[in-house]
Amino acid sequence: MAGWMQGGVSADERLDLDGTKTVLRRSMEYLGPYRRRAAQSFLLLVLWTGTTIAGPLLVRRAIDDGIRPRDSDQLTIAVVGYLLAAALGYVFYRASIVTLAWVGENFLRDLRRSVFAKLLDQSLAFYDRSKAGVLISRMTSDVDSLSELFQYGLLMFTAALLQLVGTIVVLSLLSWQLMLVCLVVVPVVAIASIKFQRDSNKAYLAVRDHIGSTLSALQEGISGVRLVQAFGREDLQASQFAATNQGLYRSHMNSVKVAAWYLPIIEFAATATTALTIGVGGYLAHQGTLSIGTVIAFILLLQGLFEPVQQLSQLFNLVQSATASLDKLYGVLDEPVDLVEPDAPSTFPASGAIVVSNLSFAYAGSDELVLRGVDLTIADGERVALVGPTGAGKSTLAKLIARLYDPTDGSISFGGVDLRDGSVAELRRRVLVVPQEGYLFDGTIADNIRIAAPGTSDAEVQAALERIGVWERFATLPEGLATEVQERGSRLSAGERQLVSLARAALADPAVLVLDEATSSLDPGTERVVEAALEHLMSGRTVIAIAHRLTTAARCDRVAVVAEGGIAELGPHDELIARGGRYAALFGAWSSGLGVGADPASASD
Amino acid sequence: MTTTSTKHPSVPRTGWGLLRQALVEQRWGLLVGMIAALTWMAGRVAVPRLIQLAIDRGIEGDDPLVPWSIAVAVAGAVSGVSLGLRRYLAFRNARVIEARYRDRLFAHIQRLHIAYHDVTATGELMSRANTDLNQFQNIFTQIPITSGNFLIVIASVIIMITIHPTLALCALVGLPAINVLGKRFAQTLHPAVLRAQQESAQLAGVVEQTVSGIRVVKGFGSEHLQAEKLDVEADDVFDASIESSRIRARYLPAIELLPNLGLVAVLAYGGHLVIDGDLTVGELVGFNLYVLMLIQPLRMLGQVVAQGQRAASAGDRIAEVLSTDPLILDPAHPQPLPHRSGGGTVEFRGVEFGYHGGDVPVLHRFDLRVDAGESVALVGITGCGKTTVARLLPRFYDVDAGAVMLDGIDVRQLRLQDLRKAVSLVFEETFLFSGSIRDNLAFADPLADDAVIRRAAQLAGAADFVEALPDGYDTVIGERGFSLSGGQRQRLSIARAIVADPRVLILDDATSAVDPTKEHEIRDAMAEVMGGRTTIVIAHRPATIALADRVVLLDEGRIVAEGTHSELLTSNRRYQEVLASVEPVAEDA
Repeated sequence: MAGWMQGGVSADERLDLDGTKTVLRRSMEYLGPYRRRAAQSFLLLVLWTGTTIAGPLLVRRAIDDGIRPRDSDQLTIAVVGYLLAAALGYVFYRASIVTLAWVGENFLRDLRRSVFAKLLDQSLAFYDRSKAGVLISRMTSDVDSLSELFQYGLLMFTAALLQLVGTIVVLSLLSWQLMLVCLVVVPVVAIASIKFQRDSNKAYLAVRDHIGSTLSALQEGISGVRLVQAFGREDLQASQFAATNQGLYRSHMNSVKVAAWYLPIIEFAATATTALTIGVGGYLAHQGTLSIGTVIAFILLLQGLFEPVQQLSQLFNLVQSATASLDKLYGVLDEPVDLVEPDAPSTFPASGAIVVSNLSFAYAGSDELVLRGVDLTIADGERVALVGPTGAGKSTLAKLIARLYDPTDGSISFGGVDLRDGSVAELRRRVLVVPQEGYLFDGTIADNIRIAAPGTSDAEVQAALERIGVWERFATLPEGLATEVQERGSRLSAGERQLVSLARAALADPAVLVLDEATSSLDPGTERVVEAALEHLMSGRTVIAIAHRLTTAARCDRVAVVAEGGIAELGPHDELIARGGRYAALFGAWSSGLGVGADPASASD
Repeated sequence: MTTTSTKHPSVPRTGWGLLRQALVEQRWGLLVGMIAALTWMAGRVAVPRLIQLAIDRGIEGDDPLVPWSIAVAVAGAVSGVSLGLRRYLAFRNARVIEARYRDRLFAHIQRLHIAYHDVTATGELMSRANTDLNQFQNIFTQIPITSGNFLIVIASVIIMITIHPTLALCALVGLPAINVLGKRFAQTLHPAVLRAQQESAQLAGVVEQTVSGIRVVKGFGSEHLQAEKLDVEADDVFDASIESSRIRARYLPAIELLPNLGLVAVLAYGGHLVIDGDLTVGELVGFNLYVLMLIQPLRMLGQVVAQGQRAASAGDRIAEVLSTDPLILDPAHPQPLPHRSGGGTVEFRGVEFGYHGGDVPVLHRFDLRVDAGESVALVGITGCGKTTVARLLPRFYDVDAGAVMLDGIDVRQLRLQDLRKAVSLVFEETFLFSGSIRDNLAFADPLADDAVIRRAAQLAGAADFVEALPDGYDTVIGERGFSLSGGQRQRLSIARAIVADPRVLILDDATSAVDPTKEHEIRDAMAEVMGGRTTIVIAHRPATIALADRVVLLDEGRIVAEGTHSELLTSNRRYQEVLASVEPVAEDA
């Protein structure tokens, strides 16, 4: 009885017949190496079903040939047959569970790996146009619904289907007259089952939605508790939550009602057909048309006929949602990769100038050019700051230089080699994008830094930290580099996170550093440490800085003002200030935003 | 049926106590459920007996068949209808209890003191009101179902014994093992399934982190590293799933085999009894049907013990939260706040305070007076105690010694509602609820009209961007709605505090994410908000600090300097250091 509601699928996800066929064909291909075992497990299920149907038939034989003619030997034959069927049933059932699970779990493991590998192959452009939540749900909820299917659903579904078909065939062979009579209940059962399957699907989806909104209301209430108390809203908040919770209760009750209507109909159908068999079968037995054993076998078989009907209508939703999930997963696998490597990649030199020529770029699916005909040459070892308003294209330009995207038109080369002619992996070792507000993965600080160069030793990680002068900062943590970054109580501060990001870059040791400056402000002490680390990191490298702080721009060799998809001004800080153009205006507005000058002694207000 | 009251005569402290309380509260529903279960049992048990009689007297004998057919059908109808009813009632009881306790938990959590929330993870409280509550309610569906199953077993066994004791023994001898196997199956499978779920959760963690951190992964070209991590997790999921399939393979076929052996025994021994004339064919069939009918109830009876234990331990965890008393309470004899006009004087007198009951000392002999209408900026490095000062005033915590006074009254002598209406705190970490911008701004005063909301938005410098949104103030924000920038969120939270119209406004680093080039836009507005209202500002940026009438420099829980911004800037070395490298960022210039 456990798990009455078994999955569900919304109208726009449900596959039509052709879609289902395609998914099945693809799955057969994917089964590849496991096809033999899959066929084996199906055969085992057929055999197992055979043994369960054999029971009532052997009872019939015992009654007609053994008990009524008072023939002990015939009875013994039937009993031994029954014993054999039971023993074989045990063996077949056990073997089919093991085989089917083996096939299913292997299939799932392959699927998980290939979908994930495909996701990793995709360019950032793909991630820009996809929602992270959707991508994650492919690998979680979609695969999970398949996992449920393979854990028990598919076995139950197939077994129920075989049992239903097998029983109907045997019943018809035993007595077509009785079978005809029993058909009376078919319309009722069919209509009830179809209605149940639809209603329970709807009810399941409604429950799922309500669970979602209740959980987010719960979460908001708990994480916003300080605010709630600050404004004295406890009662109001509790009564609002009660309304949401009441919605969940109603949706639960609705799904209970769906089952509470359906169950009695199936339960009654079983006894109704039994009652009909007693009446009509008894009459036919009196006439001598049927043996008593046949009537009894019929009654016994009927007891096992409606359970599969009920299981099928429950499991149908699970199977449908699993098919829809498979379709989505195949969709991910079919997605073309848009950043392709040449068959014979050229080698990038260890360092060199970056030449951007006549570069134009539009994001996929958009006609609007973010960059138009940009030309820019950055010498080996030069520091260039990109400044300008949000959306003007400075980040895009930086990402194109690191080949996170390919240009729509024009080209970018590093050390004389067009980025598209080299290998991506090699380019990543030369040109590195460092988001200053680094993302942290689960694991220790050392693990997080090591992402930049897998397989490096703790000593090398330490050396990288020393190179940027922040080793002390981490060495003094109670657990040093072995500190878990996500654990409660030992969360890293914003400043420390930035330092981890810089340490990664130091460990990777690239020729070109594309620095995406942090926008949030740190407390003064930490800010100084980060600044110093950054200075260490930049020395001896070509630097392209997406600058938000104009003091950073002032420290660079040249400043490029990116505006309206092009480079509006280019030159050293002092020159641009003297020119009195855009940059000078930008700098003026920014200094006034300070309220005081960078040097506190000069403040007068 | 749901209640938001947390006032209960006594809150049970254990899971069993909580189960008892829930049973008592839901006793009528449970009683009706039991009656349905009883009726179901009667109908169900009658069917094999009627079939037996129909075979012996109608088919083998000369009784008319139709009455027997009708009798079987009627018994089937009774058991069918009561099966539906039993199911409905069983689940209704459980869901009522679930909803009731979730409401209680939520309301209670909302009232628990902040110090409790400081040390309790959100996820932990979430699982009390979610997974634990689910395990807890589940046992109540089992009450009518289990009693029905139990009665079926008893009744069937009695009927079988009355028909033929030795055959009954022969048929039933193996069946208790179903119960035992069922119990063991549930106990072994449960941890294996949990492990498989944990492994999937870990795999999901790798996927989630990789997708969220894809820029880092791609940037360092460390795709293969992530792929290796996934391989490890995928293998773990594989192993765990195969393990639970093995458990299924070990128990399920055995549970299926036992009744079959009983059927074989019935056929072998019973067949001979019929041949010898000691049993009828109908009775043989009846035995067969009773054995089939007993399988399901016996299996479920085996599982229910394990479920009961899980419900009790989930109940323990729920009871622990519910029986935690809120520490910050209204006084027994609250004093009224003096009239608003001219009010808003704040005074800290010899305050001693440390977190975790004083273990982590923060403030030591802290004295500060802020006059009505005055604005004071608290400045200092992280950990100097300025945020603590802000949180003691609205009584997020109580002082260890000394007193915090509002308009001459100790805040502990005021009703919390009155105090928190008089004092509004704007946090650095803005929290906006899912819902419209209007609902969020009207948080302090749900009855606030549009004019009040618009004016507050203007003062906080939020009106321009809000009104530029397609749906304006009706724009839905939050998890599933429109996402705003950090600066925009901070402006909305300032506007929210303005709607509250408090006599004391505390801004705890409330403009840290506002773009510095835009800060001047709201600076005038801030000045207007501060005018005529006691304001305590915690800030890093000189421009914001300069707005205050007086600046107080804190260091290690003490006041080390006081004066105006420009006085301190010219005379105080420490003040210069603290402000020195605060350097705003330029964007959207």
